[in-house]
Amino acid sequence: MKQVLASALIATLLHITPTVVLVKRTDAVKQLLPDAEQFFMRQLHLSKTDGDKLGKDADNWSPPDGELTFYIGKESGKEVGVIEFVRVDTPHGPIEVAVGFGMDRTVRQVIVTKATTETKPWVLEALGANLTGTYRGLKLTDTPDGADVIKAKTGDLPVFIAHLIDQGVFRAIVAYRDFYATSGHMG
Amino acid sequence: MLYDLPHADIRVKWLVTCLLATFGVTYLFGSWMVGLYAGFTPHPVAVTYGSPEMNMAAMTMQPESTTVTEHAMSEEEMGAEAYTVDRKLLVQDTHVHMPMYALIAAALSIVVLGLRMKRESTFVLITLLFLAPWVNFGGMWLTKLVSPQFAFLVLLGGYIMAFDMTIITVVAYWQMWMPEKQGEAR
Repeated sequence: MKQVLASALIATLLHITPTVVLVKRTDAVKQLLPDAEQFFMRQLHLSKTDGDKLGKDADNWSPPDGELTFYIGKESGKEVGVIEFVRVDTPHGPIEVAVGFGMDRTVRQVIVTKATTETKPWVLEALGANLTGTYRGLKLTDTPDGADVIKAKTGDLPVFIAHLIDQGVFRAIVAYRDFYATSGHMG
Repeated sequence: MLYDLPHADIRVKWLVTCLLATFGVTYLFGSWMVGLYAGFTPHPVAVTYGSPEMNMAAMTMQPESTTVTEHAMSEEEMGAEAYTVDRKLLVQDTHVHMPMYALIAAALSIVVLGLRMKRESTFVLITLLFLAPWVNFGGMWLTKLVSPQFAFLVLLGGYIMAFDMTIITVVAYWQMWMPEKQGEAR
């Protein structure tokens, strides 16, 4: 009986509410790559060695099914920016962030594209406290600390969500640094 | 038959009627959801459940060295996203859905046991009720772990479910609510 109750409690605690699209991907692309005229998708199917390296650098993260995808914007054949969409799984359902990188190899802008019906209010509150503003200009060696920055301005749950968004941005930065910026394919 | 559903207490018949109607509606929404997220042909199902790193040549194993592919796309295509189910989500889906399918199959089997039909037909219907989720989820796992060519099994499992559900609902409604012909054995 105890086991049944414990299972029910776990199921309740781990409930996942439906996904909510906060910003459509097409709109995120327009915002993150405003100057782009041509678009390209680069997919990397990671080897075990590279998957292990990414896991080591990105706090044990591995992308879904071992695949990284970079969306590249170009103008007159010249690269103007790169976007990554990163999903962060939480006990309350997934959150997705779109991270845009500029040609100076820093974070240009971050947009939270998806949340869940439960996490949406916390995400919006965190965004209202200018969470995404804290990511602008982050270098590839920086660690996002948006949650700490907005701590004084908002409540516990938005800060909790901000930590998860920090995590998503961190993963994007590490993936970009390890498998894009150093690949010699830029431009 | 194990009991006589067509001549059961009207409250039992009403219960079965409501149960089948509710299952029917959820199955219709299930079909709609499949249409929205996966599709009704093997290719989009393979895209949904297959592993991105897998193609006919390189099954589920990680490549020895990282492979890179790049192709041009429109701005709209860039924003579009195919719904995919990765391994972790499939584990969760299997854990959540299989017990529910078993309970639905058990409930429908109890309805089948009360219908006037040959024993063999009863066996077939009950077997199909439990076989469908195995084929459905087995297809998803084979598509992910072995080859996208198994995507047809996902669809086959869904079609078996729909077929079985339709047969049971039509026969049950007919036997419970259609007036009997004169002289028909009760």
